[in-house]
Amino acid sequence: MGLDYQFVLWNKYKKTYDKMIAAGISLYIILFAVITLIFNSETTIETLIIRAFGSLAIIMLHIILAIGPLARLNKGLLPILYNRRHLGVSMFIAAFIHGGFSIFQFHALGDVNPIYSIFTSNMDYGSLTNFPFQVLGFLALLILFVMAATSHDFFLGNLSATIWKRLHMMVYFAYALIVAHVFLGSFQQETTTFTIGITLIGFILIASLHLITAFKEHTIDKVKTEEKDGWLEVCNISEIEEDRAKIFTIAKERVAIFKYEGKLSAIHNVCKHQGGPLGEGKIIDGCITCPWHGYQYLPSNGQSPPPFTEKVATYELKLTGEIVYINPKAFEEGTEVKPCNL
Amino acid sequence: MTSKLRRAHKYIWLLLIIIVPLIMVFSIKNLEFLVSKNNTISSFNSLKKGSINRSENEIIKGTVFENYVEIILKSTLKNSSSVVYEMDEKGHKFNVIGQLTTAGIYNFNINNLPKGIIIYDAIKHVEITKISFKWD
Repeated sequence: MGLDYQFVLWNKYKKTYDKMIAAGISLYIILFAVITLIFNSETTIETLIIRAFGSLAIIMLHIILAIGPLARLNKGLLPILYNRRHLGVSMFIAAFIHGGFSIFQFHALGDVNPIYSIFTSNMDYGSLTNFPFQVLGFLALLILFVMAATSHDFFLGNLSATIWKRLHMMVYFAYALIVAHVFLGSFQQETTTFTIGITLIGFILIASLHLITAFKEHTIDKVKTEEKDGWLEVCNISEIEEDRAKIFTIAKERVAIFKYEGKLSAIHNVCKHQGGPLGEGKIIDGCITCPWHGYQYLPSNGQSPPPFTEKVATYELKLTGEIVYINPKAFEEGTEVKPCNL
Repeated sequence: MTSKLRRAHKYIWLLLIIIVPLIMVFSIKNLEFLVSKNNTISSFNSLKKGSINRSENEIIKGTVFENYVEIILKSTLKNSSSVVYEMDEKGHKFNVIGQLTTAGIYNFNINNLPKGIIIYDAIKHVEITKISFKWD
Protein backbone atom coordinates (compact mmCIF):
# COMPACT_ATOMS: atom_id res chain seq x y z
CA MET A 1 0.00 0.00 0.00
CA GLY A 2 1.62 3.24 -1.11
CA LEU A 3 0.52 6.86 -1.40
CA ASP A 4 2.14 7.37 -4.80
CA TYR A 5 2.37 4.95 -7.68
CA GLN A 6 5.84 3.53 -8.11
CA PHE A 7 7.05 1.52 -11.09
CA VAL A 8 7.80 -1.45 -8.82
CA LEU A 9 6.82 -1.41 -5.17
CA TRP A 10 9.73 -3.40 -3.77
CA ASN A 11 10.44 -4.27 -0.18
CA LYS A 12 13.05 -6.64 1.21
CA TYR A 13 10.67 -9.65 1.04
CA LYS A 14 9.64 -8.93 -2.52
CA LYS A 15 13.28 -8.55 -3.50
CA THR A 16 14.01 -11.97 -2.01
CA TYR A 17 11.10 -13.54 -3.92
CA ASP A 18 12.16 -11.85 -7.15
CA LYS A 19 15.71 -13.12 -6.72
CA MET A 20 14.30 -16.61 -6.23
CA ILE A 21 12.21 -16.26 -9.41
CA ALA A 22 15.25 -15.04 -11.39
CA ALA A 23 17.41 -17.87 -10.03
CA GLY A 24 14.72 -20.47 -10.83
CA ILE A 25 14.29 -19.18 -14.38
CA SER A 26 18.06 -19.11 -15.01
CA LEU A 27 18.51 -22.61 -13.60
CA TYR A 28 15.68 -24.01 -15.73
CA ILE A 29 16.97 -22.44 -18.97
CA ILE A 30 20.52 -23.67 -18.33
CA LEU A 31 19.32 -27.20 -17.47
CA PHE A 32 17.02 -27.28 -20.50
CA ALA A 33 19.85 -26.18 -22.81
CA VAL A 34 22.34 -28.69 -21.39
CA ILE A 35 19.91 -31.62 -21.55
CA THR A 36 18.79 -30.68 -25.08
CA LEU A 37 22.37 -30.37 -26.33
CA ILE A 38 23.30 -33.74 -24.77
CA PHE A 39 20.37 -35.65 -26.27
CA ASN A 40 19.82 -33.64 -29.45
CA SER A 41 23.02 -31.86 -30.43
CA GLU A 42 21.62 -30.87 -33.85
CA THR A 43 19.07 -28.51 -32.32
CA THR A 44 19.38 -24.96 -33.59
CA ILE A 45 19.63 -22.08 -31.12
CA GLU A 46 16.24 -20.72 -32.28
CA THR A 47 14.51 -24.04 -31.62
CA LEU A 48 16.25 -24.31 -28.26
CA ILE A 49 15.04 -20.84 -27.23
CA ILE A 50 11.49 -21.49 -28.47
CA ARG A 51 11.19 -24.76 -26.58
CA ALA A 52 13.01 -23.65 -23.42
CA PHE A 53 10.97 -20.49 -22.93
CA GLY A 54 7.71 -22.12 -24.07
CA SER A 55 8.00 -24.92 -21.53
CA LEU A 56 9.19 -22.44 -18.88
CA ALA A 57 6.13 -20.24 -19.43
CA ILE A 58 3.79 -23.22 -19.10
CA ILE A 59 5.45 -24.42 -15.89
CA MET A 60 5.25 -20.89 -14.45
CA LEU A 61 1.59 -20.58 -15.45
CA HIS A 62 0.82 -23.84 -13.65
CA ILE A 63 2.58 -22.55 -10.51
CA ILE A 64 0.68 -19.25 -10.72
CA LEU A 65 -2.66 -21.02 -11.09
CA ALA A 66 -1.85 -23.34 -8.19
CA ILE A 67 -0.89 -20.55 -5.77
CA GLY A 68 -4.46 -19.21 -5.31
CA PRO A 69 -6.15 -22.46 -4.26
CA LEU A 70 -3.09 -23.64 -2.31
CA ALA A 71 -3.11 -20.43 -0.27
CA ARG A 72 -6.81 -21.01 0.43
CA LEU A 73 -6.05 -24.52 1.64
CA ASN A 74 -2.88 -23.63 3.57
CA LYS A 75 -2.42 -20.14 5.03
CA GLY A 76 1.31 -20.74 5.29
CA LEU A 77 1.50 -20.19 1.53
CA LEU A 78 0.05 -16.68 1.67
CA PRO A 79 3.50 -15.02 1.33
CA ILE A 80 3.83 -16.63 -2.12
CA LEU A 81 0.47 -15.19 -3.11
CA TYR A 82 1.81 -11.79 -2.05
CA ASN A 83 4.40 -12.00 -4.85
CA ARG A 84 2.27 -13.71 -7.52
CA ARG A 85 2.04 -10.59 -9.66
CA HIS A 86 5.80 -10.49 -10.29
CA LEU A 87 5.69 -14.18 -11.17
CA GLY A 88 2.89 -13.42 -13.64
CA VAL A 89 4.84 -10.68 -15.39
CA SER A 90 7.92 -12.94 -15.53
CA MET A 91 5.76 -15.67 -17.06
CA PHE A 92 4.51 -13.25 -19.73
CA ILE A 93 8.12 -12.31 -20.59
CA ALA A 94 8.98 -16.02 -21.02
CA ALA A 95 5.86 -16.55 -23.17
CA PHE A 96 6.70 -13.44 -25.20
CA ILE A 97 10.23 -14.72 -25.94
CA HIS A 98 8.72 -18.08 -26.99
CA GLY A 99 6.08 -16.41 -29.17
CA GLY A 100 8.45 -13.80 -30.59
CA PHE A 101 11.06 -16.33 -31.69
CA SER A 102 8.34 -18.64 -33.07
CA ILE A 103 6.82 -15.84 -35.15
CA PHE A 104 10.27 -14.87 -36.40
CA GLN A 105 11.32 -18.43 -37.22
CA PHE A 106 8.08 -19.65 -38.80
CA HIS A 107 6.35 -16.55 -40.15
CA ALA A 108 8.72 -13.61 -40.57
CA LEU A 109 10.69 -14.85 -43.57
CA GLY A 110 7.78 -14.99 -46.03
CA ASP A 111 6.29 -12.27 -48.21
CA VAL A 112 3.23 -11.65 -46.02
CA ASN A 113 2.82 -9.92 -42.69
CA PRO A 114 3.95 -12.38 -39.95
CA ILE A 115 0.77 -11.84 -37.89
CA TYR A 116 -1.38 -12.43 -41.00
CA SER A 117 0.74 -15.49 -41.72
CA ILE A 118 -0.03 -16.99 -38.27
CA PHE A 119 -3.72 -17.06 -39.15
CA THR A 120 -3.42 -18.05 -42.83
CA SER A 121 -0.36 -20.28 -43.27
CA ASN A 122 -2.37 -23.27 -42.12
CA MET A 123 -6.06 -23.01 -42.94
CA ASP A 124 -7.01 -26.47 -41.73
CA TYR A 125 -9.39 -25.04 -39.10
CA GLY A 126 -11.80 -27.94 -39.63
CA SER A 127 -9.35 -30.54 -38.36
CA LEU A 128 -8.33 -31.05 -34.75
CA THR A 129 -5.04 -32.83 -35.31
CA ASN A 130 -3.94 -30.48 -38.09
CA PHE A 131 -5.50 -27.41 -36.46
CA PRO A 132 -3.35 -24.23 -36.74
CA PHE A 133 -2.33 -24.48 -33.10
CA GLN A 134 -0.07 -21.41 -33.32
CA VAL A 135 -3.22 -19.27 -33.56
CA LEU A 136 -4.25 -20.51 -30.10
CA GLY A 137 -0.84 -19.64 -28.67
CA PHE A 138 -0.97 -16.19 -30.27
CA LEU A 139 -4.41 -15.43 -28.79
CA ALA A 140 -3.22 -16.61 -25.36
CA LEU A 141 -0.15 -14.36 -25.68
CA LEU A 142 -2.43 -11.37 -26.39
CA ILE A 143 -4.42 -12.07 -23.20
CA LEU A 144 -1.23 -12.47 -21.16
CA PHE A 145 0.05 -9.19 -22.61
CA VAL A 146 -3.10 -7.31 -21.55
CA MET A 147 -2.81 -8.84 -18.09
CA ALA A 148 0.88 -8.04 -17.69
CA ALA A 149 0.38 -4.50 -19.03
CA THR A 150 -2.46 -3.80 -16.57
CA SER A 151 -0.91 -5.59 -13.60
CA HIS A 152 0.24 -2.34 -11.98
CA ASP A 153 -1.81 -0.81 -9.16
CA PHE A 154 -2.26 2.29 -11.33
CA PHE A 155 -4.62 0.29 -13.60
CA LEU A 156 -6.26 -1.41 -10.62
CA GLY A 157 -7.02 2.01 -9.16
CA ASN A 158 -8.25 3.52 -12.43
CA LEU A 159 -10.12 0.60 -13.95
CA SER A 160 -11.92 -0.25 -10.66
CA ALA A 161 -11.40 -3.50 -8.79
CA THR A 162 -14.39 -5.18 -10.49
CA ILE A 163 -13.25 -4.54 -14.08
CA TRP A 164 -9.63 -5.29 -13.19
CA LYS A 165 -10.60 -8.60 -11.61
CA ARG A 166 -12.75 -9.60 -14.62
CA LEU A 167 -9.90 -8.71 -16.94
CA HIS A 168 -7.45 -10.81 -14.94
CA MET A 169 -9.81 -13.76 -14.68
CA MET A 170 -9.21 -14.12 -18.43
CA VAL A 171 -6.11 -16.02 -17.37
CA TYR A 172 -8.36 -19.10 -17.23
CA PHE A 173 -9.33 -18.62 -20.88
CA ALA A 174 -5.65 -18.11 -21.74
CA TYR A 175 -4.82 -21.30 -19.85
CA ALA A 176 -7.39 -23.28 -21.87
CA LEU A 177 -5.94 -21.83 -25.11
CA ILE A 178 -2.41 -22.74 -23.99
CA VAL A 179 -3.39 -26.31 -23.07
CA ALA A 180 -4.98 -26.72 -26.52
CA HIS A 181 -1.95 -25.02 -28.15
CA VAL A 182 0.47 -27.46 -26.51
CA PHE A 183 -1.76 -30.48 -26.91
CA LEU A 184 -2.58 -29.98 -30.61
CA GLY A 185 0.95 -28.75 -31.36
CA SER A 186 2.46 -31.85 -29.81
CA PHE A 187 0.42 -34.09 -32.07
CA GLN A 188 1.85 -32.31 -35.09
CA GLN A 189 5.45 -31.99 -33.92
CA GLU A 190 6.27 -35.01 -31.80
CA THR A 191 6.01 -38.74 -31.95
CA THR A 192 6.13 -39.38 -28.19
CA THR A 193 3.31 -38.80 -25.74
CA PHE A 194 5.62 -37.07 -23.21
CA THR A 195 4.43 -33.48 -23.75
CA ILE A 196 0.81 -34.57 -24.03
CA GLY A 197 1.13 -36.60 -20.81
CA ILE A 198 2.75 -33.75 -18.87
CA THR A 199 0.11 -31.27 -20.08
CA LEU A 200 -2.65 -33.68 -19.09
CA ILE A 201 -1.20 -34.24 -15.60
CA GLY A 202 -0.75 -30.48 -15.15
CA PHE A 203 -4.35 -29.83 -16.14
CA ILE A 204 -5.69 -32.52 -13.81
CA LEU A 205 -3.65 -31.11 -10.90
CA ILE A 206 -4.68 -27.49 -11.43
CA ALA A 207 -8.33 -28.27 -12.13
CA SER A 208 -8.52 -30.56 -9.06
CA LEU A 209 -6.98 -27.89 -6.80
CA HIS A 210 -9.46 -25.26 -7.98
CA LEU A 211 -12.44 -27.58 -7.64
CA ILE A 212 -11.41 -28.81 -4.17
CA THR A 213 -11.13 -25.18 -3.03
CA ALA A 214 -14.40 -24.22 -4.72
CA PHE A 215 -16.35 -27.01 -3.03
CA LYS A 216 -14.68 -26.30 0.33
CA GLU A 217 -15.79 -22.66 0.07
CA HIS A 218 -19.24 -23.78 -1.09
CA THR A 219 -19.57 -25.90 2.08
CA ILE A 220 -18.68 -22.86 4.22
CA ASP A 221 -21.21 -20.74 2.28
CA LYS A 222 -23.97 -23.23 3.04
CA VAL A 223 -23.53 -23.00 6.83
CA LYS A 224 -26.66 -21.44 8.34
CA THR A 225 -27.02 -19.99 11.81
CA GLU A 226 -30.34 -19.48 13.53
CA GLU A 227 -31.35 -15.86 13.93
CA LYS A 228 -32.70 -14.80 17.33
CA ASP A 229 -34.22 -11.33 17.68
CA GLY A 230 -32.17 -10.09 14.73
CA TRP A 231 -28.87 -11.47 16.03
CA LEU A 232 -26.77 -14.44 14.87
CA GLU A 233 -24.63 -16.48 17.24
CA VAL A 234 -21.01 -16.44 16.04
CA CYS A 235 -18.78 -18.22 18.56
CA ASN A 236 -17.36 -18.23 22.08
CA ILE A 237 -15.05 -15.28 22.69
CA SER A 238 -12.19 -17.68 23.52
CA GLU A 239 -12.23 -18.92 19.91
CA ILE A 240 -10.83 -15.59 18.66
CA GLU A 241 -7.10 -14.96 19.12
CA GLU A 242 -5.85 -11.52 20.13
CA ASP A 243 -5.29 -9.27 17.05
CA ARG A 244 -6.82 -11.96 14.85
CA ALA A 245 -10.27 -12.64 13.48
CA LYS A 246 -12.99 -15.22 13.30
CA ILE A 247 -14.50 -15.45 9.80
CA PHE A 248 -18.27 -15.84 9.82
CA THR A 249 -20.67 -16.37 6.90
CA ILE A 250 -23.80 -14.25 6.55
CA ALA A 251 -25.93 -14.94 3.46
CA LYS A 252 -22.92 -16.41 1.58
CA GLU A 253 -20.81 -13.31 2.34
CA ARG A 254 -17.89 -13.48 4.77
CA VAL A 255 -17.52 -11.18 7.76
CA ALA A 256 -14.32 -10.87 9.83
CA ILE A 257 -14.76 -10.36 13.59
CA PHE A 258 -11.55 -9.04 15.13
CA LYS A 259 -10.48 -9.12 18.81
CA TYR A 260 -8.02 -6.39 19.82
CA GLU A 261 -7.18 -4.25 22.86
CA GLY A 262 -10.12 -5.69 24.84
CA LYS A 263 -12.61 -4.92 22.06
CA LEU A 264 -14.44 -6.63 19.19
CA SER A 265 -15.20 -5.17 15.76
CA ALA A 266 -16.66 -6.69 12.62
CA ILE A 267 -16.04 -5.71 8.98
CA HIS A 268 -16.72 -7.23 5.55
CA ASN A 269 -14.04 -9.82 4.85
CA VAL A 270 -13.18 -8.71 1.30
CA CYS A 271 -10.33 -6.24 0.75
CA LYS A 272 -11.09 -3.45 -1.74
CA HIS A 273 -7.71 -3.82 -3.39
CA GLN A 274 -7.85 -7.31 -4.92
CA GLY A 275 -10.48 -9.12 -2.88
CA GLY A 276 -8.05 -10.52 -0.30
CA PRO A 277 -9.47 -12.18 2.85
CA LEU A 278 -9.10 -9.52 5.56
CA GLY A 279 -10.06 -12.00 8.28
CA GLU A 280 -6.94 -14.02 7.52
CA GLY A 281 -4.80 -10.98 8.20
CA LYS A 282 -4.00 -9.48 11.59
CA ILE A 283 -4.07 -6.14 13.35
CA ILE A 284 -0.83 -4.24 12.89
CA ASP A 285 -0.37 -0.74 14.35
CA GLY A 286 -4.07 -0.67 15.21
CA CYS A 287 -5.17 -1.45 11.64
CA ILE A 288 -6.59 -4.62 10.09
CA THR A 289 -3.95 -5.57 7.54
CA CYS A 290 -4.83 -7.60 4.43
CA PRO A 291 -2.63 -10.69 4.15
CA TRP A 292 -2.38 -10.37 0.36
CA HIS A 293 -0.89 -6.92 -0.25
CA GLY A 294 -0.91 -5.16 3.12
CA TYR A 295 -3.91 -2.82 2.54
CA GLN A 296 -5.10 -1.51 5.93
CA TYR A 297 -8.48 -0.65 7.50
CA LEU A 298 -9.49 0.73 10.89
CA PRO A 299 -11.52 -1.92 12.80
CA SER A 300 -14.17 0.48 14.12
CA ASN A 301 -15.21 2.04 10.78
CA GLY A 302 -13.73 -0.14 8.00
CA GLN A 303 -11.95 2.86 6.51
CA SER A 304 -8.35 2.95 5.35
CA PRO A 305 -6.41 5.48 7.44
CA PRO A 306 -6.06 8.88 5.72
CA PRO A 307 -4.98 9.80 3.09
CA PHE A 308 -6.21 6.45 1.69
CA THR A 309 -9.87 6.24 0.71
CA GLU A 310 -10.73 2.51 0.60
CA LYS A 311 -13.58 1.46 2.87
CA VAL A 312 -15.56 -1.70 3.60
CA ALA A 313 -18.91 -2.44 5.26
CA THR A 314 -19.10 -2.70 9.06
CA TYR A 315 -21.34 -4.75 11.37
CA GLU A 316 -22.75 -4.40 14.88
CA LEU A 317 -21.71 -6.92 17.53
CA LYS A 318 -22.90 -7.79 21.05
CA LEU A 319 -21.52 -10.04 23.75
CA THR A 320 -23.80 -12.10 25.98
CA GLY A 321 -21.77 -13.87 28.61
CA GLU A 322 -18.93 -15.37 26.55
CA ILE A 323 -20.95 -15.71 23.33
CA VAL A 324 -20.41 -13.27 20.46
CA TYR A 325 -23.49 -12.24 18.44
CA ILE A 326 -23.63 -10.29 15.17
CA ASN A 327 -26.35 -8.22 13.57
CA PRO A 328 -26.47 -9.62 9.98
CA LYS A 329 -27.51 -6.29 8.51
CA ALA A 330 -24.40 -4.55 7.17
CA PHE A 331 -23.87 -0.84 7.60
CA GLU A 332 -22.80 1.37 4.70
CA GLU A 333 -19.13 1.07 3.84
CA GLY A 334 -17.00 3.11 6.21
CA THR A 335 -19.76 3.54 8.87
CA GLU A 336 -18.41 4.05 12.39
CA VAL A 337 -19.64 1.33 14.77
CA LYS A 338 -18.84 1.42 18.47
CA PRO A 339 -16.61 -1.59 19.24
CA CYS A 340 -18.05 -4.20 21.57
CA ASN A 341 -16.13 -4.06 24.85
CA LEU A 342 -15.06 -7.34 26.44
CA MET B 1 -13.45 -13.02 -2.53
CA THR B 2 -17.11 -12.11 -2.70
CA SER B 3 -19.65 -14.91 -3.16
CA LYS B 4 -20.17 -13.80 -6.80
CA LEU B 5 -16.46 -14.19 -7.55
CA ARG B 6 -16.31 -17.55 -5.79
CA ARG B 7 -19.25 -18.73 -7.87
CA ALA B 8 -17.68 -17.39 -11.08
CA HIS B 9 -14.42 -19.22 -10.33
CA LYS B 10 -16.28 -22.46 -9.64
CA TYR B 11 -18.31 -22.34 -12.86
CA ILE B 12 -15.28 -21.39 -14.96
CA TRP B 13 -13.39 -24.45 -13.70
CA LEU B 14 -16.39 -26.74 -14.10
CA LEU B 15 -16.61 -25.52 -17.71
CA LEU B 16 -12.88 -26.01 -18.30
CA ILE B 17 -13.05 -29.51 -16.86
CA ILE B 18 -15.64 -30.39 -19.47
CA ILE B 19 -14.22 -28.51 -22.47
CA VAL B 20 -10.49 -29.26 -22.20
CA PRO B 21 -10.82 -33.07 -21.89
CA LEU B 22 -13.34 -33.00 -24.78
CA ILE B 23 -10.75 -31.28 -26.98
CA MET B 24 -8.17 -33.86 -25.90
CA VAL B 25 -10.45 -36.85 -26.56
CA PHE B 26 -11.62 -35.61 -29.96
CA SER B 27 -8.01 -34.81 -30.97
CA ILE B 28 -6.86 -38.31 -30.11
CA LYS B 29 -9.86 -39.79 -31.88
CA ASN B 30 -9.26 -37.57 -34.91
CA LEU B 31 -5.63 -38.62 -35.15
CA GLU B 32 -6.34 -42.30 -34.50
CA PHE B 33 -3.09 -42.14 -32.58
CA LEU B 34 -3.02 -45.74 -31.37
CA VAL B 35 -4.62 -47.27 -34.44
CA SER B 36 -1.96 -45.77 -36.71
CA LYS B 37 0.82 -47.48 -34.77
CA ASN B 38 -0.85 -50.86 -35.07
CA ASN B 39 -1.37 -50.32 -38.77
CA THR B 40 2.31 -49.44 -39.15
CA ILE B 41 3.30 -52.79 -37.72
CA SER B 42 0.67 -54.93 -39.38
CA SER B 43 1.14 -53.55 -42.86
CA PHE B 44 4.73 -54.73 -42.91
CA ASN B 45 4.40 -58.08 -41.30
CA SER B 46 3.06 -59.32 -44.58
CA LEU B 47 2.75 -57.88 -48.04
CA LYS B 48 -0.56 -56.03 -48.19
CA LYS B 49 -3.27 -57.34 -50.45
CA GLY B 50 -2.97 -55.77 -53.87
CA SER B 51 0.56 -54.46 -53.33
CA ILE B 52 3.13 -55.22 -55.96
CA ASN B 53 6.42 -54.07 -54.42
CA ARG B 54 7.84 -52.75 -51.19
CA SER B 55 11.02 -51.41 -49.65
CA GLU B 56 12.05 -49.80 -46.40
CA ASN B 57 14.87 -48.18 -44.47
CA GLU B 58 15.16 -46.77 -40.93
CA ILE B 59 13.12 -43.66 -41.80
CA ILE B 60 10.37 -44.75 -44.20
CA LYS B 61 8.58 -47.82 -45.52
CA GLY B 62 7.16 -47.73 -49.04
CA THR B 63 4.62 -50.05 -50.63
CA VAL B 64 3.68 -49.75 -54.29
CA PHE B 65 0.14 -50.57 -55.38
CA GLU B 66 -1.38 -50.56 -58.86
CA ASN B 67 -2.02 -46.83 -58.96
CA TYR B 68 -0.75 -45.45 -55.68
CA VAL B 69 2.17 -45.69 -53.29
CA GLU B 70 1.81 -45.98 -49.52
CA ILE B 71 4.57 -44.34 -47.47
CA ILE B 72 4.86 -44.86 -43.75
CA LEU B 73 6.98 -42.22 -42.05
CA LYS B 74 8.28 -43.96 -38.92
CA SER B 75 9.00 -40.80 -36.94
CA THR B 76 8.51 -37.10 -37.56
CA LEU B 77 11.43 -35.56 -39.41
CA LYS B 78 13.29 -32.54 -38.08
CA ASN B 79 13.36 -30.96 -41.53
CA SER B 80 10.89 -28.14 -42.06
CA SER B 81 10.23 -29.41 -45.62
CA SER B 82 9.85 -33.07 -46.65
CA VAL B 83 8.79 -33.33 -50.29
CA VAL B 84 8.20 -36.80 -51.77
CA TYR B 85 9.68 -37.43 -55.23
CA GLU B 86 9.51 -40.40 -57.55
CA MET B 87 13.02 -41.62 -58.34
CA ASP B 88 14.15 -42.12 -61.93
CA GLU B 89 16.37 -44.90 -63.29
CA LYS B 90 19.53 -42.93 -62.49
CA GLY B 91 18.52 -42.51 -58.84
CA HIS B 92 17.61 -38.83 -59.25
CA LYS B 93 14.41 -37.12 -58.18
CA PHE B 94 11.97 -37.06 -61.03
CA ASN B 95 8.39 -36.19 -60.21
CA VAL B 96 6.80 -34.63 -57.10
CA ILE B 97 4.10 -36.88 -55.73
CA GLY B 98 3.40 -35.30 -52.36
CA GLN B 99 4.66 -34.01 -49.05
CA LEU B 100 5.18 -35.49 -45.58
CA THR B 101 4.49 -33.70 -42.32
CA THR B 102 4.27 -35.82 -39.17
CA ALA B 103 4.86 -39.52 -38.56
CA GLY B 104 2.12 -41.65 -40.07
CA ILE B 105 0.76 -43.31 -43.16
CA TYR B 106 0.50 -41.45 -46.48
CA ASN B 107 -1.02 -42.57 -49.79
CA PHE B 108 -0.01 -40.80 -53.01
CA ASN B 109 -1.40 -41.42 -56.50
CA ILE B 110 1.13 -42.46 -59.15
CA ASN B 111 0.89 -42.80 -62.92
CA ASN B 112 3.92 -45.04 -63.42
CA LEU B 113 5.58 -47.65 -61.27
CA PRO B 114 8.43 -45.76 -59.54
CA LYS B 115 12.03 -46.94 -59.36
CA GLY B 116 12.14 -45.61 -55.86
CA ILE B 117 11.14 -42.78 -53.53
CA ILE B 118 13.24 -39.77 -52.50
CA ILE B 119 12.35 -37.55 -49.56
CA TYR B 120 13.86 -34.13 -50.20
CA ASP B 121 14.19 -30.99 -48.06
CA ALA B 122 13.21 -28.31 -50.57
CA ILE B 123 14.27 -25.47 -48.28
CA LYS B 124 17.78 -26.63 -47.44
CA HIS B 125 18.10 -28.49 -50.76
CA VAL B 126 19.26 -31.73 -49.20
CA GLU B 127 18.17 -35.29 -49.73
CA ILE B 128 16.74 -36.65 -46.48
CA THR B 129 16.41 -40.31 -47.48
CA LYS B 130 15.51 -42.61 -50.34
CA ILE B 131 14.37 -46.17 -50.99
CA SER B 132 14.55 -48.20 -54.20
CA PHE B 133 12.13 -50.74 -55.56
CA LYS B 134 13.52 -53.71 -57.42
CA TRP B 135 11.57 -54.57 -60.55
CA ASP B 136 12.15 -57.79 -62.53
